[in-house]
Amino acid sequence: MLYDINLRIEYDYDFPVSGGRHMVRVLPRSIAGRQRLIAGSVGIRPQPVERTGVIDFFENQATLILFRNAHDRLEIDMQARVQVDATNDQPDFSPQIGELSREIAACWSLAPASPHHFTGHSPRLPDCSEISDYALSVAAPGMTVREIASALCTRIHSDFTYDVDATTVDTTPQEAFRLKRGVCQDFVHVMIVALRSLGIPAGYVSGFLRTIPPAGKERLEGADAMHAWVRLWCGPTNGWVELDPTNDMPAGTDHIVVGYGRDYADVAPVIGIVKSYGQQQTKQAVDVVPVRQPA
Amino acid sequence: MTSKAAEAERIAGNPLLEGLMTYAPLPGIADEMVSPDGSIRPAWQKLLSALGRMDETELANRFARADRYLRDAGVFYRAYGKDAGGERAWPLSHIPVVIDQAEWENLSRGLIQRVELLEMIAADIYGPARLVSEGLLPAQLIGTNPEYLRPVVGVAPAGGHFLHFCSFEVGRGPDGNWWVLSDRTEAPSGAGFALENRVATARAFSDVYAETHVHRLAGFFGAFRDALLAGRQFEDDRIAVLSPGPANETYFEHAYIARYLGFMLLEGEDLTVVNGRVMVRTVAGLKHVSVLWRRLDASFADPLELNHQSQLGTPGIVEALRAGSVRIVNALGSGILETRALLAFTPTISRHLTGEDLQLPSIATWWCGQQAERDHVAANIENMVIGPAYSTRPFFDDNGRSVLGSTLRENAKLPIADWLSNDGARLVGQEAVTLSTTPAYVDGRLVPRPMSLRVFAARTRDGWQIMPGGFARISSGSDVSAITMQEGGSAADVWIVSDRPVDRTSLLPADEAFTRNLPGSLPSRAADNLFWLGRYIERAEGALRILRAWHGRFAEYADPDQPLLKDVSDYLKQLDVDTAEPVPSTLLASIDSAVFSASNIRDRFSPDGWLALADLAKTARRFHDSIQPGDDATRAMTVLLRKLAGFAGLVHENMYRFTGWRFLSVGRYLERGLHMTRLLRHLSGEDAPDGALDMLLEIGDSVMTHRRRYNVATARLTVTDLLALDPLNPRSVLYQLNEIKTEIEQLPNAYSNGQMSPFYREAMRLHAGLAVMTPEGMTPEAYRHFETELEKLSDILGETYLS
Repeated sequence: MLYDINLRIEYDYDFPVSGGRHMVRVLPRSIAGRQRLIAGSVGIRPQPVERTGVIDFFENQATLILFRNAHDRLEIDMQARVQVDATNDQPDFSPQIGELSREIAACWSLAPASPHHFTGHSPRLPDCSEISDYALSVAAPGMTVREIASALCTRIHSDFTYDVDATTVDTTPQEAFRLKRGVCQDFVHVMIVALRSLGIPAGYVSGFLRTIPPAGKERLEGADAMHAWVRLWCGPTNGWVELDPTNDMPAGTDHIVVGYGRDYADVAPVIGIVKSYGQQQTKQAVDVVPVRQPA
Repeated sequence: MTSKAAEAERIAGNPLLEGLMTYAPLPGIADEMVSPDGSIRPAWQKLLSALGRMDETELANRFARADRYLRDAGVFYRAYGKDAGGERAWPLSHIPVVIDQAEWENLSRGLIQRVELLEMIAADIYGPARLVSEGLLPAQLIGTNPEYLRPVVGVAPAGGHFLHFCSFEVGRGPDGNWWVLSDRTEAPSGAGFALENRVATARAFSDVYAETHVHRLAGFFGAFRDALLAGRQFEDDRIAVLSPGPANETYFEHAYIARYLGFMLLEGEDLTVVNGRVMVRTVAGLKHVSVLWRRLDASFADPLELNHQSQLGTPGIVEALRAGSVRIVNALGSGILETRALLAFTPTISRHLTGEDLQLPSIATWWCGQQAERDHVAANIENMVIGPAYSTRPFFDDNGRSVLGSTLRENAKLPIADWLSNDGARLVGQEAVTLSTTPAYVDGRLVPRPMSLRVFAARTRDGWQIMPGGFARISSGSDVSAITMQEGGSAADVWIVSDRPVDRTSLLPADEAFTRNLPGSLPSRAADNLFWLGRYIERAEGALRILRAWHGRFAEYADPDQPLLKDVSDYLKQLDVDTAEPVPSTLLASIDSAVFSASNIRDRFSPDGWLALADLAKTARRFHDSIQPGDDATRAMTVLLRKLAGFAGLVHENMYRFTGWRFLSVGRYLERGLHMTRLLRHLSGEDAPDGALDMLLEIGDSVMTHRRRYNVATARLTVTDLLALDPLNPRSVLYQLNEIKTEIEQLPNAYSNGQMSPFYREAMRLHAGLAVMTPEGMTPEAYRHFETELEKLSDILGETYLS
């Protein structure tokens, strides 16, 4: 599939902020055999006095910007054309939980895709006994890691209600778990904590969803803003597998990856440090349109 | 009497000697003073024979000398926990730990080998990670380690090194050999305290110290300072100690080290990053900083790329690191080397990387994330301490998170082996060691107390150097676990004794060319604190003077509704000062605010100045609870005014006349001008009650001058002339404006491109406006005008220099 993606993020500040430094992660990445960024640009208004592009630890593209002058509005516009290739569904070669820990330990690597970065806790995701009990109730003896993950994905999708007003960007997984409500970020955080509590390495994927579904299919939840889903490590043979608990489906050609991280904090679209007194309003608009290709 | 009997009598009369005679090391535990065969170690003999000649009184006097020094120097640490926030007197154990030079050299060689190995490990973890891919270091130990800072992976440190200043916690085992208990690589503290312990102990034993060949510490610090100076990119780059601020446990030391080495003391908000370079905000604009000695935990250094919750850091620091423009001592991320579980792997890594065994063993450690190690720990649980694998502190200093294996059997819910296999990756077992004892003076005698030693290593231009001395922590009981200060432990100086005279370098090299360095630019935050210190001090003085005059009259009239008293009470009420309280809370608040401002810039004060201010605050607080209105209050105000003048005098006599001084002065003049303007408006009007003019003169300390100058009874115009317009009266409004103008001329950027700065222009205008006034013209409206203008001046100063 070939997509044209437009993202617009707007911040309105009640009082002008005197300056600010931000890290922006909105540009789709290229992933060998999966997706390719053909062209992409990030426009920022007002014009920042400094602007630097960096590749972060997990190999996401980030833009660092600095403002020195007062402004009461910040606009970020991202445009990209991305080629997404259909991945062949692999058969399930994942081990059972007991075997997985040995396979993790046998992985002598700190490369960005090493499972070792995705076990234990991460800045936004501490241990949570309620969620680990929930995970244990899903994992039955004899199930493979892949099977457990799919079961969890389905379970969360049916137990949780998609509700944009129930949570905020700072809601903890425990709070979301108790509410059984939230948006993609909450679904994903709960599922990551659940997987990790079982010893399965799991991380956060930020990205985009195709806005208008193909004919005859339902529109997916989360398509009108940046989306998030889960990736988990299923052993050396299957490697990383991506599941979308908000829509209870594997991430496929409708999912375009922007960033990989341990949790939201690693891939937040905009991290900003501003000195301000008042509140701010944020708006996000996304358009992911398939490009008609000559036959 | 036989000589033996005489000796016995001498001993009997001297509890210390008795203590020496009965000093017995604990069985099976090494002692610093007494060797295993029961003889006194040679290095201790001079000190001991000197101690033997002192009686209890002399000893008490000597210890008091040391304690007085520490108090006067303002040495404190901050207690956490139940009495959080309190500053505690420094708990010095007066008897130093004495170590023979030859033994020390051995230890030093081992530590240098160790710190060089740690540097290689850091470079590998944040570089190619070969130790992981070759199986020498479990990936899990790094990947799940909170000290592993991903944003700096692959960023080579400016200057090429991760480590520049480290410390080691070492202890002596029962066999007499030294062990490394933990490595401190993040932001090691204690070096400044070691210096202060040294000065204090040398005060107590000045004679012994002089005749014993004790190695000096200054050379070590000098060599490190030179190395940092050499690390600058350009000669006028700044070097700073980066502190988390006055709330930190060891803030005293940050200020002390900065002052001792002549570096700036900064906090995260003093810094900003411009085009990849770290800059400090000063009153003269942004200035480059190319070396930061960091006392702030790494993850807090940059809220943008590291811990997003940090309020202490500087956004953009990681960007500056990528640009290679700043050397951070030690590099961000170095803290991972402190991980306790790493101790299990360093011996193998040493052989692998250098082909050498560690000369100095670490405390035996097993990481329970591996089957064989886990089994070993389970089988030997009685002789183990079990603790968190990722802890960065030694087992006896981690707030009780480590437990003796022997106590586990009784309390454990699960069988030990199950527990270890469930949670193994988060646990380490360490051999339960006993530490050597050293004599501490307790209740008139010397008793053996467990100790651990903190030893410091600095990278100098000639390679690593070990500080010849250190910081001994001494337990308050016979148990190692009571070694931390939070648990009542104390600290002792460490004497490394040579059998030959030692080099007595002081920090100032005599043979280098003499240059006179002007102090570096003043950070805006420091200027802000100095300015407000000046204002609060003067605000307190103004209130004190009015209150003294008020209570003097109240003692006479005994009626608060007497017209003058009532009038002045009403005036004070506008300033939130309530005359019903003899020592009003608002006054205490001004003094506390002054103390707070001063505490933020402690490195710029002499300890004397700080003590005088602390004394003022303490006295005011005491008076607040005890003073009666009238005469009693008048006397109390006089005492407080005298103490305040004492502080002002110390500052006036001792503070270097540079930018910082000017901000302090401008603060004082501005507040005094405001105080006098308001007071004149209120008390010199046509309708002011009887006696108001005399009271004004008294408050303005100008009674005698008025008598001499005017030769008439007090009249509205003469008082106005003297207190508002006389350029020679140090209490007049015009005098304040004159001084403000003079100070501003000397501030940075008073002129830019040949033009006066707005601040300077405003001060000139205001001065000229008042200078041309006549006493007749000083109407209430005129006073109000000048009051508003003075307040505006304060705002412009803030905008120009302090933000």
